[in-house]
Amino acid sequence: MTKLRMGRVGMAVLVALNVIIAASDLSAQFQPPGTLGVLAPANIAKPRPKAPFDITGTWLHIGGESERFDPPAGFKLTPAAQKHFDASAAAVKEGKLYRNDIGLCWPAGMPIMMTRVWPIQMIQLPTSIFMISELMNSLRIVYMDGRQHTDPDIVVPSFNGESIGHWEGDTLVIDTTGFRDDHHWIQDRAGIPASDALHIVERIKMQNQGKRLEIEFTLTDAKSWEGDWKLTKHWDRVDDRDIAEVECLPELNEHMPTVHSPDNIREN
Amino acid sequence: MKILRLGGSVVIALCLVTSVYAHHSAAGVDQSKTVSLEGVVKEFKWANPHSYLEIEVMNSKGVAEIWNLEMMPPTYLVRAGWKSNTVKVGDKVKFSARPMKNGDPGGLFVSITLADGRTLGQTAPRGGGAAPAPVYPQQ
Repeated sequence: MTKLRMGRVGMAVLVALNVIIAASDLSAQFQPPGTLGVLAPANIAKPRPKAPFDITGTWLHIGGESERFDPPAGFKLTPAAQKHFDASAAAVKEGKLYRNDIGLCWPAGMPIMMTRVWPIQMIQLPTSIFMISELMNSLRIVYMDGRQHTDPDIVVPSFNGESIGHWEGDTLVIDTTGFRDDHHWIQDRAGIPASDALHIVERIKMQNQGKRLEIEFTLTDAKSWEGDWKLTKHWDRVDDRDIAEVECLPELNEHMPTVHSPDNIREN
Repeated sequence: MKILRLGGSVVIALCLVTSVYAHHSAAGVDQSKTVSLEGVVKEFKWANPHSYLEIEVMNSKGVAEIWNLEMMPPTYLVRAGWKSNTVKVGDKVKFSARPMKNGDPGGLFVSITLADGRTLGQTAPRGGGAAPAPVYPQQ
């Protein structure tokens, strides 16, 4: 009897361990087979608290504030980032431009993709938020179905990162990690690079009866700068706008005199 | 510290620059100049993220050269009265542009005058409405 009981306890422990192990596998990028995706009707239909607001719509970053993610006063860069910053400052002094990656068809990436002049469409579902920037049709999916960030050892780095969202009162909070560390900039015109250590937290509020979005960004990247950089930016709802296919093609770029200007300093 | 101070002023200067509906910088363009020329259309591409025009111009030495003109996307050109067939290969036109600093033929499109006398520009970014002339970032 005692042995049998111990055996049952052992089984229960094993089952519990399996559940824990399975749960830890529920990462954003690598879901175990059979796990419901964000567009699975059964996932969408799961009971969840009502979202405080619906971000669905077309948004355009307002013209009255900088589209750039400028560092705060007194910022301090790491030596690796300082190298790019200094090279960019020297280029600007000569009327030139350092590493025009976006012009050369590299994705703008987060956070620049949110403010890069072109409109951005957002579609909110109970499980996720899809964001599509008109510029290069850059896609960002925010997972809202409870999954966790992918293990950093297996995450596939990307320019827009991996975004996990949740609601805190009337605020949408999005945590984004998993970034590419090459050809990816926080401030492309000032030569401030993003690394794979970049971590972005967005606190998003709806304002003006749903006509304006406010996002407070907290940018942390221990490989590029010290401390947290906080910036708040705004978008207006533009109901009379849609987005189109916008591809950045080398063939088209060949005809853009500014892209091929000798004043653009490329990678060595 | 010196570097940081210089960096701060660079960033502030960058903040003051006006945005444009573009996907890249116009560092190589002389924003202080507008040139007016005439020539024959060799190519017109109606495309995102930029349309472009190629116009053959006879330079001061009597040599034909192709002016490459970078334009805004169709969304904005339509608001300024453009269609994809507004200009055709072989059309004789007058145009104005912000030229390249290094003297290469080409630059940013400002306006065109067609054979029928119509003059078309391109609307400014954000919010629509006609603008007198586009403003491009110098950065």
